[in-house]
Amino acid sequence: MEFSPVHYIAVPLFAAFLIPLVGKVSKELVKLIPGLVLLYLSYGSIMLFPKGMENPIIEIIAGFKPPFGIALYYGATAAFLVTLVTLLGFVIWLYSYKFIIREPIEKYYMLFMLLITGATGIMLTGDIFNLFVFLEITAIASYSLTAFLRDKDSAEAAFKYLLIGSFSSAFFLLTVMILYTYTGTLNLADLASKADMIPANAKGFALLLVIVGMGIEAEIFPLNGWAPDAYSQAPSPIGAVFAGIVVKAAVYAFIRIIFLFFKTPEVLHFIVIIGLITLIIAEMAALRQHQIKRMLAFSSLGQMGLVILALGIGTTESTSAALFQMFNHAVIKAMLFFAAGYLVFHSGSKLIDSVTGLGYDKPITSFFFSLGALAIIGLPPFSGFWSKLNVLISIASEGEILIIVLILAASVVEAVYYLRIIGKLYTRKEIDSNPRRTPISGLLAMGILAIVIIVIGIYPDVLTQWLQPAAENLLNSEEYIQTGLF
Amino acid sequence: MRKAVAILLLGIFGYYFASIFLSLPFGEKREGVGKHYLENTISETGSVNTVTSIVVSYRGFDTLGEVTVLFLASTGLGAILFDVRRKKRNEQNASPIVRTTSTVFYPMIILLGAYVFVHGHLTPGGGFQGGAIIATGVLLMFMAYRKFEANHTLLSVIESLAGLTFVTVGLTGLIYGGSFLVNFLPLGTPNDLVSAGVIPIIYIAVGFKVGAELTVVLDDMLKTIR
Repeated sequence: MEFSPVHYIAVPLFAAFLIPLVGKVSKELVKLIPGLVLLYLSYGSIMLFPKGMENPIIEIIAGFKPPFGIALYYGATAAFLVTLVTLLGFVIWLYSYKFIIREPIEKYYMLFMLLITGATGIMLTGDIFNLFVFLEITAIASYSLTAFLRDKDSAEAAFKYLLIGSFSSAFFLLTVMILYTYTGTLNLADLASKADMIPANAKGFALLLVIVGMGIEAEIFPLNGWAPDAYSQAPSPIGAVFAGIVVKAAVYAFIRIIFLFFKTPEVLHFIVIIGLITLIIAEMAALRQHQIKRMLAFSSLGQMGLVILALGIGTTESTSAALFQMFNHAVIKAMLFFAAGYLVFHSGSKLIDSVTGLGYDKPITSFFFSLGALAIIGLPPFSGFWSKLNVLISIASEGEILIIVLILAASVVEAVYYLRIIGKLYTRKEIDSNPRRTPISGLLAMGILAIVIIVIGIYPDVLTQWLQPAAENLLNSEEYIQTGLF
Repeated sequence: MRKAVAILLLGIFGYYFASIFLSLPFGEKREGVGKHYLENTISETGSVNTVTSIVVSYRGFDTLGEVTVLFLASTGLGAILFDVRRKKRNEQNASPIVRTTSTVFYPMIILLGAYVFVHGHLTPGGGFQGGAIIATGVLLMFMAYRKFEANHTLLSVIESLAGLTFVTVGLTGLIYGGSFLVNFLPLGTPNDLVSAGVIPIIYIAVGFKVGAELTVVLDDMLKTIR
């Protein structure tokens, strides 16, 4: 059986259903299953990636040609993002292996596996109702994992997320309803080709519902109030999944729908503005945080604001810069969450102040955190430098100097709060050395990401050669319609 | 002041919302995929129930997703309520009338549920409905008898096996038919109990799964109510 896009969904689902049965036999085996599945998918991704970059692969489900059946669309953008998700998912599993010691471990891995499946499904599907189903899977897995630690704060965060997330799902379902009633089809490519059949007022309302509904999941201001709580109260590897995988899927779906149905200069302009506002407000809020993981959450919102801004500019350069920034943010923020997870664990407190002096007691974990912090600020020679530079160059070529000034101002704010933590880490202070060590699997996970950050920082061409086709695929709706419909 | 602005904005949104949704031409014209489904259901899927053919065949992938959503809900609930101290449900048994009637009705409700999901491709209903009916039967027993216990180990095994059946049917289609979830069995004669290819297999699996999951959810919830 040759590897095909549907494996991304079928294999993890099979594994998730299998875990409870395996759990009756051996608890250790349960922990290994997600790793094996993600290893298999990573291998498949690497096999499939060059093909998807060349020509979009359309995989028909249940043997009915679209628009009558559902089809998966594995184009260059999806190939880029899905490969990122499976590889990062594997590293997150590696980190979880020793980090998650609290029962029910079996349920943790089931939810973790399904969360990644949902996010992959969002990126792969070529059908708008199927997109809704995967959004639901992702959202419900996220709610449960946010509450996984079962204390008061995490329950509150999960409940908040649940309430806002339900609005998101309902609004998106209403959008699907409007689009389906006027066009009689659910396939994205077919829908896009028939978008003219929708009257202007209904289309305008659908746009409003998409911006509010998908905006909640894509964490744009002012709809992102749930995100800092959810990111910081969920277990650290899940924080990494949210920042590295879930929000990427949501932003991709949001932008794909906007580009397919509502791509007018006014809408793109609006997206640039909300991206900019999200960036600035999130960075200002991050500066005021006292808890390390909450600060990372706000920083994540800011980074995604920058991505949305760059996507809204709508040129090939800016879109490929946005995808590059998405990649860097996924890798670097995952590493920061990993390191922060153990810093919190070692210091026994969530507060930023309590990491003072840990740089000498726990040198390796602190080193990884510092490396991640420098990379995300955008200092050379780390990968974060190139993506930020590319974003700025692409905006400069559009002549939007004011936006550049604001982004640089936000970057300065970002540098302040990250450097503040590095400063604290390496301030000498007498602390009781505690015997707990960061386990090998955790260090290995952070080490892999650190190598990626440095290698891409020194040889950005390894990655940037793939960004051009991915960006073109995202921008070119005509091609999407033609390839998606046979 | 803030409330007044909120009510005003809500009013404007509500008006706009109503005007859009009241003018939707829903069900007026039979075009697009809907028309295709109505005309070709029997020849393409062998199922005389068009709704079932759409749910399990044309859009079977969505159904797999929805089954996963329910699975997630029950797993997530189990994870969140993991260390909540379990309580005895109700303090005393229900009245003799309720108890006697429940004992008589319980097997009949289970049978009705099974009938609904086995005949999913022939009559209205299907796996989700049949599974929900079975769970109501169990709920009746929960309310009538204090000592009636659901066997969680058995239920989770049923849940897993049913989910695995669904995905295995899909993967078998991928291997032998070249497409995930494609029908690889003969379609048979329409209106026969054994017809419509893989649809009955999938719906029986869904019925078991939904029945088991809703029972677990009911049991979890009933035991944590204060």
